Amino acid sequence: MSLFDLVLFPIVGAAGIVAISSVVKERGSLFGVFAIASLSFMAFTLFQTAGLIPSSYWIEGYPPPLGVVLYADSFSLFMVSLFVLMGIIVTLYSLKYMSEDSGLEKYYALLLLLISGLTGVAISGDLFTLFVFWELMCIASYALVAFRKDRWEPIEAGFKYLVMSTIGSLIALYGISILYGMTGTLNIAEIASRMPSSWTIEGYFSIAMIISGFGVTAAIFPFHSWLPDAHPAAPSPISALLSGVVIKAGVYSILRVLFSVLGPARYDFGTMLLILGVATMTVANLLVFPQRDIKRFLAFSSIANVGIIITAAGVAAYVAYHSPADIHVAYLALAGGAFHILNHAIGKGLLFLASGNFIHEIKSRDIVDLEGISKRMPYSAASFSLGALSLGGIPPLAGFWSKLIIILSLLYLSSAPLMVAVAVIMILNSLFSAAYYVWLIQRISFKPVKADGAKEAGPLMLVPVLVLAVLCVAVTLALPYFLDIVNSVANALLG
Amino acid sequence: MIYSATAMALILIGIYCIATKHNMIKIIIGIEIICAGVNLNFISLAWDGQQSDPLASSVVLVSIAIGAAIAAFALAFVMNAFKQTGSSDARKLRRLRW
Repeated sequence: MSLFDLVLFPIVGAAGIVAISSVVKERGSLFGVFAIASLSFMAFTLFQTAGLIPSSYWIEGYPPPLGVVLYADSFSLFMVSLFVLMGIIVTLYSLKYMSEDSGLEKYYALLLLLISGLTGVAISGDLFTLFVFWELMCIASYALVAFRKDRWEPIEAGFKYLVMSTIGSLIALYGISILYGMTGTLNIAEIASRMPSSWTIEGYFSIAMIISGFGVTAAIFPFHSWLPDAHPAAPSPISALLSGVVIKAGVYSILRVLFSVLGPARYDFGTMLLILGVATMTVANLLVFPQRDIKRFLAFSSIANVGIIITAAGVAAYVAYHSPADIHVAYLALAGGAFHILNHAIGKGLLFLASGNFIHEIKSRDIVDLEGISKRMPYSAASFSLGALSLGGIPPLAGFWSKLIIILSLLYLSSAPLMVAVAVIMILNSLFSAAYYVWLIQRISFKPVKADGAKEAGPLMLVPVLVLAVLCVAVTLALPYFLDIVNSVANALLG
Repeated sequence: MIYSATAMALILIGIYCIATKHNMIKIIIGIEIICAGVNLNFISLAWDGQQSDPLASSVVLVSIAIGAAIAAFALAFVMNAFKQTGSSDARKLRRLRW
């Protein structure tokens, strides 16, 4: 078992599904079960690799820094476990949700390719491998957004997503090519060691290209405008996957390149990340309120949460550059950011899947039509409320702790006026998000029932939602264990 | 140096093309121009005065293949949009606003 198997299993699964589909036609659930099986193999491999980190893999005869290298540390494995977890849950959910669509062999094959691309991004040890898996992930997600291609909305949203995201990837590749020009290699560890010890103007140029390139997929303001179109247009399970993990892959790539390759002690990108993070969360939180479409509402909230994660990374980089004496604050901030990645993936996955249950039942995404739905669909609505409270940052649920850690790390640095300003804006944003989530819960729970005929979703759609709701609570109960994990993530990034 | 400058010019031309053209096919051509610019930059940075680094050439070969995949995929989008709106004008796809 090696790292290579992690990306191999889903690709083999995708090829297998396409091969089977030429013999067995129109058996959607069979392909779904096959997809779950190959993801389970992947999860099994992941458990075996988990004890061996940091580990690397390369093709025989092409040792690093020459050839393709896969490398996993605790940050990579943290991300891969999120991808596999969300992949299995979403595939399980799709068995029923997508059962009325046709062409399901393509759907499940693309889903597996998406998971494979995400995994490859997280475990690649050189920047070009990262780019190749990045494009695999992007192409699979364009196709999945536009899966219902006979309607106008997915095509329009998908084309917008394709154009913006492709420009972003190419700009990021341009940044990578500048790093290559500076050091003559693409291996992440090798670039870091060959990098000149003081800052250069090319280095800052490549930072700008990398942030704005990968920032398109991470939905950082002002590159976020594809996201609120693409998430509602996609089928609900895909929205959960896009919002839960695909935008996190963008955040991962930014953090990996900035922290592991360029180094926060050499380049002052902390201020840039802080400004972008604060702008992202403020703009997105202000745009949540006018939304009537529940999935657009959740999509804007995803952008706001990316802002929080980027702010946490900004604090870490700012501290590492400006006051290396307080480096423990940088670890704290990065741990908070990583914890928020986990909480947002689980919470937003839960919200999109639960709202998928509502949409499947009443065929409308308008919040007005959803009023009072909890009287008819109690389990889905209860899980939805749990996820909303967690992301709104209501104690003692998981989302509260990650926001608390980030705000605490900001308050540690109260001698710097910038940090105080960021802390104030972030606290205001947290209160604002708590307000709109509680307002949403009030709409779906306490208003008179609009959709009288609605019935609770079947077990296949309810189980994934309930599993995620239990996970939301479990993260709080097992808080010390998860804090250990996110601490090791911060250690992997800061060295 | 002149190649790097040309690469940058190509990227800017591509972005200009995407920003100003309304035909979906022309937007895709813009993407491909950016792709060519980035590839050219890789190749130009591989030259160290005596020889060219083979790593960059292999990287660019894969990158060209990826560019072709994206173009093929984008053209499939154009076909589907054409089936629905009867034109390849991106202005017809304006129903989604922020």
